[in-house]
Amino acid sequence: MEPQNDAQILKDCLPYVKFAKLDELLALGRANSLWPLTFGLACCAIEMMAAGASRFDLARFGAEVFRPSPRQADVMIVAGTVNKKMALAVKTLYDQMAEPKWVIAMGNCAISGGPFVFPGQYAVIEGVDKLFPVDVYIPGCPPRPEALIEGLLKLEEKLTGKRRWPVVTPK
Amino acid sequence: MNPTLPLSIPFQPVDYAAKGCHFDAVIAPDKVVEAAALLDAEGFVLDTITGVDWMAEGQMEVVYDFFRLEKALRVAVRTRIPRDNPEIATISGVYPGANWHERETHDFFGIHFTGHPDMTPFLLPEDATYHPLRKDFVA
Amino acid sequence: MTSAETIPAEKQRETFVLNLGPQHPATHGVLRVKMTMDGEYVVRAEPVCGYIHRMQEKMGENRTYAQFLPNTSRIDYLSAMTYTHAFVGAIERAMKIQVPPRAEYIRVITSELNRISSHLVWWGAFLLDLGGFTPLLYAFDDREKILDLLEGITGSRLTYSYFRIGGLYNDVDDAFLKGTRQFVAQMRPRLQMYRALVTENIILRKRLIGIGPIRAEMCRKYGATGPVIRGSGVAYDVRKIEPYSVYPNFDFVAPTFPEGDSMARYLVRMEEMAQSLRIIEQGLDKLPAGPVMAEKVPRVLKLPPGDYCYAVEAARGRFAVRIVSDGKEIPYRVKLRSPSLSNLSLFEEASRGMLLPDALALMGSLDLVIPDIDR
Repeated sequence: MEPQNDAQILKDCLPYVKFAKLDELLALGRANSLWPLTFGLACCAIEMMAAGASRFDLARFGAEVFRPSPRQADVMIVAGTVNKKMALAVKTLYDQMAEPKWVIAMGNCAISGGPFVFPGQYAVIEGVDKLFPVDVYIPGCPPRPEALIEGLLKLEEKLTGKRRWPVVTPK
Repeated sequence: MNPTLPLSIPFQPVDYAAKGCHFDAVIAPDKVVEAAALLDAEGFVLDTITGVDWMAEGQMEVVYDFFRLEKALRVAVRTRIPRDNPEIATISGVYPGANWHERETHDFFGIHFTGHPDMTPFLLPEDATYHPLRKDFVA
Repeated sequence: MTSAETIPAEKQRETFVLNLGPQHPATHGVLRVKMTMDGEYVVRAEPVCGYIHRMQEKMGENRTYAQFLPNTSRIDYLSAMTYTHAFVGAIERAMKIQVPPRAEYIRVITSELNRISSHLVWWGAFLLDLGGFTPLLYAFDDREKILDLLEGITGSRLTYSYFRIGGLYNDVDDAFLKGTRQFVAQMRPRLQMYRALVTENIILRKRLIGIGPIRAEMCRKYGATGPVIRGSGVAYDVRKIEPYSVYPNFDFVAPTFPEGDSMARYLVRMEEMAQSLRIIEQGLDKLPAGPVMAEKVPRVLKLPPGDYCYAVEAARGRFAVRIVSDGKEIPYRVKLRSPSLSNLSLFEEASRGMLLPDALALMGSLDLVIPDIDR
């Protein structure tokens, strides 16, 4: 057989062999199959269910597998108001999730207490980031399912550095 | 007067179109259980128990709403208790549904329902000692 | 043989406490139930509420009447139209505001659309509890059509705040009227499909028939209303017994089933969806022309001192509002009578001695929305 130089071999192999950093590969795998924790607290939970249902379909993004157990979940989508009575349970669930884990704060209540903040309020935690770090904030009351999907795409962008779909700007 | 209303409770007719209630009675706090038993015997349903804090008058009002199932008849039974040590007998022996309504009223106003089997906080955290719907509540 | 009384005495001592919630996959919201279990049998189920207490009644004392309207949608977000109806109805009663007929008819049409969308969520989630995932997808598909219609006139998918004091925020357009007729036409065959595939499914029937019997007297003692009491043979529907708005002009039936088990409550809601379609059709046929907002509604509302009540038939049962006013522009007290609270209060007594999955089927058939209980 004729000796071929390495550069030529590499060029021939490129359609079939890809090189990447292991971290990037892991990030791609994690981003494309984020498993959310079923954590609907209030009204935003219904929009989260609608995002998982047939019209908006989170399954396209690999995220339709809602796990009830925090051990099996990657991302906690806090959808709804967090109460002082509930705060301990939320923190426990966050602690029980295995690394790597992320948090999406969905809706105004999870971001900053939402419409339930008024002078003299006694029950609502003003934002779930007072309990643990949040990666993506999705404003809205409740945010549309498309907004939740956009939030998920932003999380994927945070993980991989790349966005899955291009940003569409209305004309 | 309506034939299903117990005669011993001093019901007064109310303008339904304006107020949404047909009859209203103000009774003494120690007559509450008797009134509830009479209404229960006639087949009324307990709608809800509302507490109102009349701080300026030094009193708290407890309003018991009842309604009927076969025709439109809403009655309210009200009573006033002193604000400093608000206590009233429980009607949960007559209407088991009153159990949770009274716990909620206790949560919000601090009214103690004597004879109630379980006066622990219902909507507030288990260790809550504050009563948020009192007019002098500061968070 | 599911009664705790038939379990031998030596076994009754070995009980353990199983904590259901506040986070659990049965998508009712944040409810915690402390269940004392004897094996798989429930000895005592004690609901613990308050995990989503959002101070709605306190906010009623901190907001003007108009500012409280968004809160009304968020108490029971699945049945938001009817809750707003109760609040604005109480104020209109107090201020003697005459709502124009067109607004009343549109209120009825949108409330009934809301009722169907609420029952669809209940149906999908209930079947999810029982183990069937597919009906949820079908239910949400139908629900999206309703949400498209309501979004076209209200701007919101879930928490509408569409009714205003004196009428409506916005009139309906031709797209809504045409779209609603199309929706009614395509929903009827869908309901028949659900009947054939799910209601007459042998697995569902085995799971629900005879499970969780609730007698009418228990409903009366606990104040349970809505499909819970109608599934126990009592034809109590606020739209029929204590009519409000223009419901007397409509020809419909409040479905009632006498058995009192979970299947009866299930059938009540399925039949209610069909009746709501009838009401919507009649409403579209009878819709009068005219304004949708009353004239001369004061910008700053001050109700005369006194108590004002209004009750509506929400999707879950009787929702009533009592506003205590002291003459100022902020209410003195707003009391919200929650149907889910009364419905859940009988769970402790009704679930004694049941198997755990049957107790969950009973809880699902009560159709609870926990923020409605906690307010």
